Amino acid sequence: MNRLRALLSALVADWRLQALLVLALLLGAPQLSPGTVQIASFVLIAAIFAQSINLLTGLAGQISLGHAGFFGIGAYCTGVLVKTHGLDVTIGVPLAVLLAGVAGWLLSFPAKRVRDVYLAMMTLGFGMVFFEVVREWNSVTGGTMGLPGVPSAALRTLTILGIKVDGLAYFQLLLLITAATMLAVRNLTQSRIGRAFYAIHISEIAAGSIGIPAGATKQWAYALSGGLAGLAGALYAHLVGYLGPESFALPRSIEVLVIAIVGGLGSIAGQVLSATLFTFLPERLQVFAEWQFIAYGLILTFSLMLLPKGIGGLLFEAPRFIRPGARARAGALHADAAMLRPADQGAALEAERITMRFGGLVAVDDVSLRLEPGRITALVGPNGSGKSTLVNVITGIYRPSAGQVRFAGRDITGLADHQVAAAGVVRTFQDPRLVPHFTVRENLLLGAHRQLRHSGVAAVLALPSATAEEASQLALVEAVLALADLTAVADRPIDTLPYGTRRMAEVGRALLARPRVILLDEPAAGLSEPEMERLTQLIRDMKAMGLAILLIDHHMDFLADLVDDVVVLDSGRMIYRGDIAGMRGDAQVIAAYLGDEAAHA
Amino acid sequence: MMDDFFFSLLLAGISVGAVYALIALGLNLTFWTTKTMNFGQGSLMMLCAMLTVFLSSQGLAMALAVIGSLLVVAAFGVFIERWTVRPALQASGGSMGWVVSTLGFGIFLQGVAAKYFGSQAVAFPDVVFTAQDFVTVFGQYVSLQYLVVLAVAVALILALELFVRKTVWGQAVHAVSLDPELALVQGIPVRLLVLGSFMLSSALAGVAGVLIAQIGGTVDPAFGFDLVLLGFVAAVLGGMGSSMGALAGGLLVGILSKLVGGYVSTAAEHGIAFALLMLALALRPQGLFGRPEVSKA
Repeated sequence: MNRLRALLSALVADWRLQALLVLALLLGAPQLSPGTVQIASFVLIAAIFAQSINLLTGLAGQISLGHAGFFGIGAYCTGVLVKTHGLDVTIGVPLAVLLAGVAGWLLSFPAKRVRDVYLAMMTLGFGMVFFEVVREWNSVTGGTMGLPGVPSAALRTLTILGIKVDGLAYFQLLLLITAATMLAVRNLTQSRIGRAFYAIHISEIAAGSIGIPAGATKQWAYALSGGLAGLAGALYAHLVGYLGPESFALPRSIEVLVIAIVGGLGSIAGQVLSATLFTFLPERLQVFAEWQFIAYGLILTFSLMLLPKGIGGLLFEAPRFIRPGARARAGALHADAAMLRPADQGAALEAERITMRFGGLVAVDDVSLRLEPGRITALVGPNGSGKSTLVNVITGIYRPSAGQVRFAGRDITGLADHQVAAAGVVRTFQDPRLVPHFTVRENLLLGAHRQLRHSGVAAVLALPSATAEEASQLALVEAVLALADLTAVADRPIDTLPYGTRRMAEVGRALLARPRVILLDEPAAGLSEPEMERLTQLIRDMKAMGLAILLIDHHMDFLADLVDDVVVLDSGRMIYRGDIAGMRGDAQVIAAYLGDEAAHA
Repeated sequence: MMDDFFFSLLLAGISVGAVYALIALGLNLTFWTTKTMNFGQGSLMMLCAMLTVFLSSQGLAMALAVIGSLLVVAAFGVFIERWTVRPALQASGGSMGWVVSTLGFGIFLQGVAAKYFGSQAVAFPDVVFTAQDFVTVFGQYVSLQYLVVLAVAVALILALELFVRKTVWGQAVHAVSLDPELALVQGIPVRLLVLGSFMLSSALAGVAGVLIAQIGGTVDPAFGFDLVLLGFVAAVLGGMGSSMGALAGGLLVGILSKLVGGYVSTAAEHGIAFALLMLALALRPQGLFGRPEVSKA
């Protein structure tokens, strides 16, 4: 089965076969009956529409229950512009895409502040309200009577740039647009944007720790998805020629969800297969049409349980998130890990008199800390002494109840986590928070997200400049892989690897975020002896690069020959600051670790 | 001088608003225990009302028909928890599959109802009073049905609030909402509470369905689907998780939507609710009575 999957995936990914398929359909279409061509056109539109869900749900992990609204915005926008105002389709359709995209962006405005379920509920409401607006706004949409006579291929009234377009030509045009859309979605998936979408899907906190803003990323996902749905809707308008509110009600939102989920979230080819299935089934099987709503309900209820990856997951391998072209180019480059040395040295991080209260509990009590470039500071203390809380305060996950965090002379207290990361303060987590389905290499490249500065357009078109930039970061990834001894497992999905390997990968990812200060939360926990040695060397390398390092750990042997300073916390208070030799003799520290009696003995 | 039209709209608004609050409470209940809510809640409202019509048409006494329907709907709550929410939550932490699966089950119920009861609206029988019964308050005609609906909804909300505040079970629900894992290790039967919350939530939806159907006079398979949104808006306005907030939010949504419906257009009811939701999320996402959520890293 796995070999079959690999074979099928290779076939689908082969650009020659893709081109051949498109060409065959282009040339073969005239042999088909007009009715079949019409249904095939619906398939293509459904495939584009399903991609919009794939992008939003499969990649970014957000759910929309009102996508018919975006579809409808696209349809009515171009319908009204072209029919009522006489604009050309080449203006109407792009404006429709833009409007639907803006709607998606506006709808998701609370993304920064509220749970994802709020957004899902808002999309449900959006779908309902859109339907009602269309039904009531007689002067523009025609109300319940609908908007007939939109120039369309089916009515043979469609002209594009003065050229008459019949059903067959429109199908051929749709085919090209669909192919271009698929390529664009694939390119997007294999770019910094696709990786960021997937990162917030898995863990917003982990994404924030390497500088990916969760709220803004979600908003982009909604905007792009809305735009794609708008495109599908606009193309639909010029296919059928009549727009009535009923075509844009809840059932359409449900239908596209069903298509996308059965197709397999994350799989582009799966969406096409599923769109074909669900467009032909009701056409050809009267029984299915009759039971459609019940069937859709059952599919949505149980498919995520029974077939979570859909057809796509059954037939194809999981999608990859790095362009093969970028990898090929990276192979020719050589990068040295020394290039990770921060450009501007000499900035210290100062946490001053930090206090963090949760209700009545004081987790961190008036603790000050200074991290100098090129120095390793250990933060030790018993469980629950406030170490991780302090790191959470410094990296912007919590806003401290009192105190200030300054870095390079700038006050960074209360900045969002991604802003702190962008300032050069990067952390790892007590439990490695990687993207489980990403390979080790993809996880590390995710760390370099902020270094990739090419535009979204360049990413979608896979322009050479974008590929070159990805390649140069990939070369750096290669260097870090070597440094962390991960080269051998670079192409393995991270969830298939042992714990120690994941820890090393997380440290590597943090390093690729180009930190000036790095905070490692128990990086040695669960490591084997050889892995521990690797880690020690890696931390020494980071020190040599001039990074300021904070190291949380319990392992005294591990810390002993590594650290310059030690800070000991107990019950949220700092009880010791100094070198490690002094710590061993400190009565308060001994008492905290071994209990009072040991200290008096 | 208040005119009759305004007064009747106000009363209708208060009355349906209390029912929206009831729906919000149902959503709150499962949100407390699992941080999820049933997106197909509307279909349970429809089902309960439809079953009541069906059972009473079979000659069952009205009270028995209502109780029987509520029991069926509560049983569906168990099914929803066991087969749509739990598997989705177990599939992968933090995933939102339950949104899709609960909505899917609601659509399934709607489809089945349309298949077996037909998609035409059926008349809903009078449970206590008829639409013509009224009393006079300050010289205004006040529909007794509206009063009964208001009284039932408010009584249930108060009872639930008392239950949560004063009983051990209520405290346990509170504990589970704060930290399910900690609650579990402290010996609180979390599974049972979760199941119970879904049963109760579904029963509340059922009550809400019967009450709304009573006011509206008819019920059809598509009935109720949009009411989840109104209930959610009520919950968010009041502050997700707060019972008194749900009541305040529900009344606000009810009154505003009825006033706008009466003076502008009945089609604007959802638009108003949606606008309120947008406004609340922009200005005060934690709601009128809620506190900002502290997320645990």
